[in-house]
Amino acid sequence: MNRSIIISSVLHLLLILVTAMSLPFLAKKPLDIPPIVSVELIQIAEKTNIPFAPKAKKIIEKVKEKEKKLVSEQAPPKKVKKTKTKTVVSVEQNEKVDNKTPEAVPLPEKTVKKIETKKENKQNPDKLDEEVKQVSEFEKKEFVDLDNIAKLIDKAKIESADEIKKNNDITQDQDRNIENTGLTLSEEDALKAQIFGCWSIPLGLPYNENLLVRIKLMLEPDGSVTKTEILDHARMNKPGQAFYKVLAESALRAVKLCQPLRVPTTGYERWKELQLNFDAREMLEG
Amino acid sequence: MKKKFIILFLILIFPLKVFALIEVDITRGNLNPLPLAVSPLAIDEQSRNEFKKIIKKENIGSEISSIVENNLKTSGLFNPLNKDAFLQAPEIANLKPRFEDWSLIKAQALITGKVTFIDEKLRVEFRLWDVLAAKEIMALAFTTVPNNWRRVGHIISDKVYERLTGEKGYFDTRIIYVAEEGPKTQRKKRLAIMDQDGANNKFLTLGNELVLTPRFNPTSQMVTYLSYFKNLPRVYLLDIETGTQEVVGDFPGMTFAPRFSPDGKKIIMSFAKDGKSDIYTMDLENRIVDRITNHPSIDTSPSYSPNGKFIAFNSDRSGYQQIYIMKSDGSDVKRISFGNGIYGTPVWSPRGDLIAFTKLHKGKFYIGVMRTDGKGERLLTENYYQEAPSWSPNGRVLIFYRETKTNSDGEGFSAKLWSIDLTGYNERLVTTLTDASDPSWSSLLSN
Amino acid sequence: MRLNKILNNTLLVFAACLVLSACATKKVSTGQMQGDVYTGTDTVEYLADGVADRVFFATNETVLTTASRETLRAQAAWMRKNSKINVVLEGHADERGTREYNLALGERRANAAKDYLMTYGISSDRISVLSYGKERPVDAGSNPLAWSKNRRSVTVKAN
Repeated sequence: MNRSIIISSVLHLLLILVTAMSLPFLAKKPLDIPPIVSVELIQIAEKTNIPFAPKAKKIIEKVKEKEKKLVSEQAPPKKVKKTKTKTVVSVEQNEKVDNKTPEAVPLPEKTVKKIETKKENKQNPDKLDEEVKQVSEFEKKEFVDLDNIAKLIDKAKIESADEIKKNNDITQDQDRNIENTGLTLSEEDALKAQIFGCWSIPLGLPYNENLLVRIKLMLEPDGSVTKTEILDHARMNKPGQAFYKVLAESALRAVKLCQPLRVPTTGYERWKELQLNFDAREMLEG
Repeated sequence: MKKKFIILFLILIFPLKVFALIEVDITRGNLNPLPLAVSPLAIDEQSRNEFKKIIKKENIGSEISSIVENNLKTSGLFNPLNKDAFLQAPEIANLKPRFEDWSLIKAQALITGKVTFIDEKLRVEFRLWDVLAAKEIMALAFTTVPNNWRRVGHIISDKVYERLTGEKGYFDTRIIYVAEEGPKTQRKKRLAIMDQDGANNKFLTLGNELVLTPRFNPTSQMVTYLSYFKNLPRVYLLDIETGTQEVVGDFPGMTFAPRFSPDGKKIIMSFAKDGKSDIYTMDLENRIVDRITNHPSIDTSPSYSPNGKFIAFNSDRSGYQQIYIMKSDGSDVKRISFGNGIYGTPVWSPRGDLIAFTKLHKGKFYIGVMRTDGKGERLLTENYYQEAPSWSPNGRVLIFYRETKTNSDGEGFSAKLWSIDLTGYNERLVTTLTDASDPSWSSLLSN
Repeated sequence: MRLNKILNNTLLVFAACLVLSACATKKVSTGQMQGDVYTGTDTVEYLADGVADRVFFATNETVLTTASRETLRAQAAWMRKNSKINVVLEGHADERGTREYNLALGERRANAAKDYLMTYGISSDRISVLSYGKERPVDAGSNPLAWSKNRRSVTVKAN
């Protein structure tokens, strides 16, 4: 009796084995890996914000708009107003994005009418008050274009990954920043985010060359720039490095466009002289 | 004692802290197209009337600036702002723009200019201004025959593009393609040529015989293509200016897939005989024919590297279509495509760094690029059917063609030209009068 | 005795498995297609009674099927009877491939047919080869059946 049971189970197992091996091989469906959500380890300072959260996850679903504002408690009214103008214009742009259909021309038409801008300027005072009350609030605004979404997905994955890498590869300067607390991570975020909006990277740059432009700035307490100096000046006129001139000019334009810069409210002595290292490599390598 | 050391230490590091220059790394910007303003070119009344007589357009100044505006817009890198918002009149803006006015509408760059009719010729001067830096960064003038006015617009576009991106432009170029009409089973095909913006379209053949895959000579006004004249498919040469055609070589079988060498002196093509296709070249001067590959497989779609030292080609010697590279004498054959799928139509970029290709995988067609060692494969776009990318002369933009499905009634078939930027952005339809396929981009005309 | 029984059972089990696997991998054969190759007669014309003018191929293939060889044998016989007739073999490909490669593929298909005719005594002087790649589909549809009808080598009278 027992023996039969044993033999029977062995044969059954054999059958299962043979069946499993001879069944038609189902075509392997491609694995649907969800986009990587990178996690950054950051130092906690007084106020912190994860700088550039990975775009991929958000973009894939639909166009989202988040506002980023850094409001310092003692912000002089003049400074805040100017920031507001920018945001207002951006809002207009975002509206346009909403109304766009996917079949439209890939890049949005940012037609800014003079009249509209003026109207919005008048509305500033109201919005101003709201803003001043909102202390240490961080919201993020991303200018996302419907048609660029798909293209950004791949980029974003790499960007997020590179973001982590970049943070590790960061020159001693950054470490120095943290040690000397030149700027807290949040202050740096604020500046970076501001410049992100102003710096139009020329897409035509060769992505396999050194794309680093270092600019030294002299600043006033309110964030306006009194002097700019390109540190690799000699490279501007080198033959075969025409793209460097273009890159440097784009960085200078970014600085001019972004005035007054989002500088910390205290410790003017720390940051009255600032060096911005514009590196386009990450954006172009994608 | 210890305390003293601590104090000393603190004193020592304290000064460091105070005088350290803070550096902030900016690694991200936006990829928004640069907003700029293209002001209509100023023109005096007399010149305007003279030109109106010759070219039959109301205002040649605004016609030329429209060309510039359109070119910069289609490149995807610039955003020309709406003219209704412009505050300064063209004549004044050209002399000394009020930069505050222009930055008010968010322009970061400004193009102004002037057109005059002088000695029966067209003279155009233009200036490029950096609005934020408040200075002029380029000023040039051109003189040519009035009928060449479109090319002036393209040349200005190229100059502005180069100054603002660091790359050579691609606007003063032409595209040759096959214009198609008729039912899918009996398609009528003609060779056609047009400016890169779609203007000046001309048909080069009548459509009596099947014509395919035309390619430009990079150095002269010649075209090579495949024609089924007298039902014998052979590679031909066509002189665009005179219209004369001649067959290339004296091959006892089908020759096809022709291209020019980068110096324009040779034609490289496939020759099919007894079931196999090999790659041959023919020197156009002395008519000497060289055999480059000798393999029982199908070797086709050859494409020279810009320095003429290497050839990329398509071969099925491994069982399926893949991309290979070899030296220009045929030695040292190396396979470079190893991804999933079938690879075809390799085209070497004029910059020498990339090879564009068509890929077929799981029933979908892709246009992609890879480095010349086969690594870094990037697929730019996917479609039901598309193939045959061709590079713009600055190696930045690819033009290719797509076909649509026929529905169950046998209707709905169409073929159109499309272009896409190397980054994968700015995919757009290239408008043609008829259906179109097999596009090929010329080199810059103003060389 | 027991061993026999065990062996019998094992054999039965194996046989069952084989039957299963065989069923699972057998290709579906519709009325008009065998695997990938067109077997219908919709688009077929005749050079003479019982002599079909064309043979069909699988995707990316240039191999002659059994049916193709039958057709070509009939063509060879007809050509031997009509020794003055010369032919052109026109090779075609479906639209699901790149244009230039398809030209070469069409040539290879027509050549495969030519080689087979030659093994049945037809002189190569009487046969020329012409490829149309994917330029002259016989069915404009965008589906596997239409494509299979287009993958063909057609024998055309040259005089």
